[in-house]
Amino acid sequence: MVALLVGLRWRQLGHQLARNPWMIVTLIVTGLMALGFVALLAVGLLALRLAAPESAVTAMVLVGAVIVAGWWVGSLLVSGDDALAPERFALLPVTARTLLPGLAIAGATTIGGIGTTLALLLMLVGWSVNGVAAIAALVTVPLALAVCVLGARVITGVLAGWLARRRARDLVMTVGVLLLACSGLIVNLVLSALRHVGDVGEVFGGLAEVLAWTPVAAVFGVPAALVDGDLVAAGLRLLIALATVAALWAAAQALLAARLVAPIQSSGGGRVRSGGAVDRMLPANPVGAIGARSLRYYRRDPRQVINVVMMLFLPAIVVGVLVMNGLGDESLAFAPAVVLVPAINALLAGTIVQMAIAYDNDAVALHILSGVSGRADRYGRLLGFGVIAVPLTIALCAASCLLVGRLDLLPASLGAALGLSAISAGAGAFTGSFLPGRAPAPEASPFGRGSSGGVQSLIAMAVMSPITLVLGAPALGFAIAAIWNPALGWVSLACGLVIGAAAVWGGAVLGGRILERRWPQVLAEVSSES
Amino acid sequence: MTDDTAAPPVLALRGLRKQFGQKVAVSDLSLDVPAGTMLGLLGPNGAGKTTTLSMTTGLLRPDAGTAWVLGVDVWRNPAEAKARMGVLPDGIRMLDRLTGAELLRYSGLLRGMAEGEVVSRAGELLEALGLADAGSTLVVDYSAGMRKKIGLACALIHAPRLLILDEPLEAVDPVSGETIRQILRSFVAGGGTVVLSSHVMELVESLCDRVAIVAEGRLLANGTLDEVRAGMTLQQRFLSLVGAHELGSETLSWLRSS
Repeated sequence: MVALLVGLRWRQLGHQLARNPWMIVTLIVTGLMALGFVALLAVGLLALRLAAPESAVTAMVLVGAVIVAGWWVGSLLVSGDDALAPERFALLPVTARTLLPGLAIAGATTIGGIGTTLALLLMLVGWSVNGVAAIAALVTVPLALAVCVLGARVITGVLAGWLARRRARDLVMTVGVLLLACSGLIVNLVLSALRHVGDVGEVFGGLAEVLAWTPVAAVFGVPAALVDGDLVAAGLRLLIALATVAALWAAAQALLAARLVAPIQSSGGGRVRSGGAVDRMLPANPVGAIGARSLRYYRRDPRQVINVVMMLFLPAIVVGVLVMNGLGDESLAFAPAVVLVPAINALLAGTIVQMAIAYDNDAVALHILSGVSGRADRYGRLLGFGVIAVPLTIALCAASCLLVGRLDLLPASLGAALGLSAISAGAGAFTGSFLPGRAPAPEASPFGRGSSGGVQSLIAMAVMSPITLVLGAPALGFAIAAIWNPALGWVSLACGLVIGAAAVWGGAVLGGRILERRWPQVLAEVSSES
Repeated sequence: MTDDTAAPPVLALRGLRKQFGQKVAVSDLSLDVPAGTMLGLLGPNGAGKTTTLSMTTGLLRPDAGTAWVLGVDVWRNPAEAKARMGVLPDGIRMLDRLTGAELLRYSGLLRGMAEGEVVSRAGELLEALGLADAGSTLVVDYSAGMRKKIGLACALIHAPRLLILDEPLEAVDPVSGETIRQILRSFVAGGGTVVLSSHVMELVESLCDRVAIVAEGRLLANGTLDEVRAGMTLQQRFLSLVGAHELGSETLSWLRSS
């Protein structure tokens, strides 16, 4: 049974790869990133081992806890497309008792599981401060992996009923992506907060000491106690770790047994408010209808909710990082540059418009069947995006000017941000007609296997960036010059608006013409993954 | 077109061909559908029905040949041809984060209809198909049958002259099924033309007046229902054309022994 399930898991992955060459590219990129992360961990551990062997123990326990917590929380994000979901076995005469070992080992031999094993083995570098501890750590690697895999199973199992509702899945995905996007900033914030509280090393040491007694990190607490030569603590922590695995095993088996006889069906999210305000605001023609539909999707499709929220967060993150790196004290001269930060949204604007068809996936067939002109498609999507992006950009520009107390720079800020974003959106409308990219299917998890839009989007980015930089040079140049001579801000604003409008027009016309020639190919490209 | 009959066909397929890699999905397929008829397109799984309909409606570019709708070439003049067609595709996602009413309004406006007309027709269609209660539910939360119905409503809203329906009654409950049959019958009685694909022989026999049978990408039979049946039931005739798969006496014998 074990070999059968593990084989099934790998065969599924193999078939997926064979069917879609882009996924191989994605897998290689992901694999390289994972390897890079593991290498980073190795270098960090080695440095720690050589430079500060006494703090290695603390670091080991914390790294271990992060790995376990990552599995537990991460399992929520990828729960949407579990290839070995219990429901798939509901019709077969199998019991939870015979199924669970196979499912657990199949979970441990995924790409994530192998990466985790590698990371756990690398941690031996850190444990090598003490021979006994290193041996204990090596022996407990399977135990640690079991805590990860079984914990993930239990958490998704417990929350499966809740996650079966579309609203819940949407929420988890949105929050997950935003947390990931802001993770760097959050870590920074926590660290600086700790610095205010007192000695970071001491806080971490205490935290590790506490975690080592909890199920999350008890398994890493065993070698930690051995380094200190505390055999009693080591024994107790080993007991906690074993009890954790036993309890998780029992819980996973009970949950699996329950789901085998009462499969959980995915259900919907109930009714929505269908406001007519959007329809009244936009004209009742194809362009207006496509704009209104785009607006609804920015609100109802979690993948696009993320895009819109990111337009708010990205400048905030950049400003946050600038502030944190001591912009306030020595390099005061650069403070006014903050008013140019909202222009960074141009990066997002291009990709959002370029990927619009990919997000629709094969549902875009409605546009093809109804014979709507390519130009109306492009203008409609740009219109929907503009209704959100323009007020948002103006608000961000005003906020950034207020932040540095230079309201006289508002025209420059607007010129750079609106101009670059409009040019980028126009470039996106053009590029999206021949490089629509690929997005995970509407119902799939954006974290799951198959989100290979990245590679094609990178190529599209390589097309859009030069266009945006060349056409946006006047608006951006005059905006930078305006920091010394605020009057030039008006020139920047004029350049931004005129060139931006021209870029939107050009992108829609050229993109629309290409779309009309390539509709069937575009449909095949955006739907090929499903 | 070389047709010199009095009433030119509403739909004319000419030499359609599509090849995926080594596999020829549709091979030199030509078919005329006269005005005011309902044609049932039959064929076993993988016969090329959906591929043919995709090439007819502008979703898939043929390797050779083309389709004419009311004398307009779908691949030379797509906008004009598509304006005359209403299409219910099968196995293609809908814009399902819209409610049924929003999707219907969207379809109408994309077709360039006036807003007042869209609103009144959408209300009538939702009422007729029993979807009025589900007005504020997202299509993603609809059942399979409800999705078929809203898809049909989207195909009907601009009052096309030609309807192309892929499996229109699949998963639809008997009550709604009867409504859809009534809608299609009165559409044809009013001079409209329907092409529908199905696997259900009884449906085709009771609803259609013309039948076309395809297998392995080729047209095997085409004519009025009685011409194609040639005195047999449609089921018998279909099997004799496509080739029934007779089980040998030893095949699956273990099923009987338990």
